[in-house]
Amino acid sequence: MGTLIAIRLRNAAALLVLATLLCFTLVVSAPGNVAVLIAELRTPKATFEQVRAVETELGLNDPLVVRYGNWLGGALQGDLGVSYKTGDHIGPTLGSRLPVTFTLVAGGACFAMLLSFALGFVGALWPGRFGDAFTRITALLGASMPSFFVGALLIYFFAVKLRLFPTFGSAGFSSWILPWITIGLLPAAVLSRVVRVGLEEAMAMPFALTAAAKGLSRRASLFRHALPNIAPTYINALGAQSGLMVVGAVVVEPLFALKGVSDFFLQGVLFRDFMVVQACLLIFLTFFIIVNLIADIGIMFTDPKLRRQGGAGT
Amino acid sequence: MIMLRSFLNALRGLPRPAVVTIGVFLALGLFGPYVTPHDPNAQDLLMAHTGISAEHWLGTDHLGRDTLSRLVASARTSLVGMSLVLVIALSVGVTIGTIAGFKRGWVEEVLMRIVDVGLAMPSLIVALAVIGIFGTGYWNMILALALAWWPGSARISRAVAVGVMNRPYIESLRVLGASPARIYFNHLLPTTIGAVLVYATAEAAAVALSIATLSFLGLGIQPPTPEWGQMLVDALPYLEEMPMQVVLPGLVLTAVVVGFNLLGESIALNRVPVPLPRRVLKQRRSIATTWRKATT
Repeated sequence: MGTLIAIRLRNAAALLVLATLLCFTLVVSAPGNVAVLIAELRTPKATFEQVRAVETELGLNDPLVVRYGNWLGGALQGDLGVSYKTGDHIGPTLGSRLPVTFTLVAGGACFAMLLSFALGFVGALWPGRFGDAFTRITALLGASMPSFFVGALLIYFFAVKLRLFPTFGSAGFSSWILPWITIGLLPAAVLSRVVRVGLEEAMAMPFALTAAAKGLSRRASLFRHALPNIAPTYINALGAQSGLMVVGAVVVEPLFALKGVSDFFLQGVLFRDFMVVQACLLIFLTFFIIVNLIADIGIMFTDPKLRRQGGAGT
Repeated sequence: MIMLRSFLNALRGLPRPAVVTIGVFLALGLFGPYVTPHDPNAQDLLMAHTGISAEHWLGTDHLGRDTLSRLVASARTSLVGMSLVLVIALSVGVTIGTIAGFKRGWVEEVLMRIVDVGLAMPSLIVALAVIGIFGTGYWNMILALALAWWPGSARISRAVAVGVMNRPYIESLRVLGASPARIYFNHLLPTTIGAVLVYATAEAAAVALSIATLSFLGLGIQPPTPEWGQMLVDALPYLEEMPMQVVLPGLVLTAVVVGFNLLGESIALNRVPVPLPRRVLKQRRSIATTWRKATT
């Protein structure tokens, strides 16, 4: 298994390098002259000499390889450049915004896991009944409703009508509940189907018959024998969905006025602030790669086939 | 002809609700602007925020525009945007995928690794980043979404192309002396396009959602063009007084996406898995019982 993990680590590292190359290429290929933008920002009606000075200061005349090296070196030390719009350093701003997005995505993932297991088990324990149909419809709606619509509905019913939660801001636990539900509903819908279908397939296997033959109740065999069987599939789907939740955060953060990384990214996109877009994209891509790596390793630990295969190899 | 036949074959036996929803959506997209009761962009500030009335069946928004007309007119915005994205993404994807499936070897390796990198990133993040670099605008949105969507179709069309190339008739053609260009353009390409079109219908839901999301964020369709996501964000400040103006565009958009998702589910290409059909389950159980009989 050690070799398998080493291979995954190597692949993740290769992907990270590709991700940095992509972020760098995106900004280099941007139309317009960055130096003019910055010079205009510092002194309105900048002269040609001032623009040239900015060019040399930012090293825009260096070869691309040197620029890539400089940028990567800075990024590794947390220096992600300067925002073209505000002139602030991006690193510290990102640092202060990361906890918000992390809380949002982590809470959303927990909510998604809870709801997906609840829905999936209702469907698997009583297949073909009312509960099964209900969870199926919930999953279909959850996967189809745009998250901004879900958020608007939740705000209307729970914040405006019932006044249970605040509409926006980050003041304590209660203000996080609506964003968590909004961001977690789509992954919950997809994952609940993974649980439901996985359990059904596992229960149709011969070992389920053996369990029934030795007198185990359907419920007991579902929990003790079928559940470990769906773990690899579930972890795989959970990893993919957690990555996608960053996309959800781009919608949820502005909707609930949360000042997170996705909101920062959106501001950068709106004002064509390349450096902010680049820095956030790099953070996002790193996050996807790490989440997928963790999921891959998790699958190895839960899938006996992979465990043995790797063990024999070493 | 091969294209049409394989497309129709794949579309046979679809769930009724999906066909109805998508049929209504397509009809509104094609003929919507001719049947709207009012001009969807005509403002009447004196009539702003009225409820349901005989003149305005679903009320008006904050600028006094007829909501029903805007909802209907949005179908065309969505349909045109969605089609453009899918046509561009599929053209690129099918070209890359069929070349990979036709040439095999190192060409396939290189192309598919590029596709893998593209698939590893969530589509909307890619689209947002591209818009952030090249600026907002209708065509930038379309191209950004197409750029985010081509890898999926490339992977599918490569798989289809490899399957087609392995069929005996391709070998017969080669034996008969058909040129590579003839095999590619007359046999491989039409069959692949037909099969990949089905995949496109499954992806349509995600594209429609992305267009609406980008418009919601103010990066996609620009006002005053009616679009569901943008109608929703316009009505959001008046959520307390006029919740209906927020709910209606959301509901219509959800209905369209549900339709396409049901379609996708039925052709088993959707991300949301469905339970095994009863027939298959029964089969598996009967296999298990034969084992039991064999052991006793």
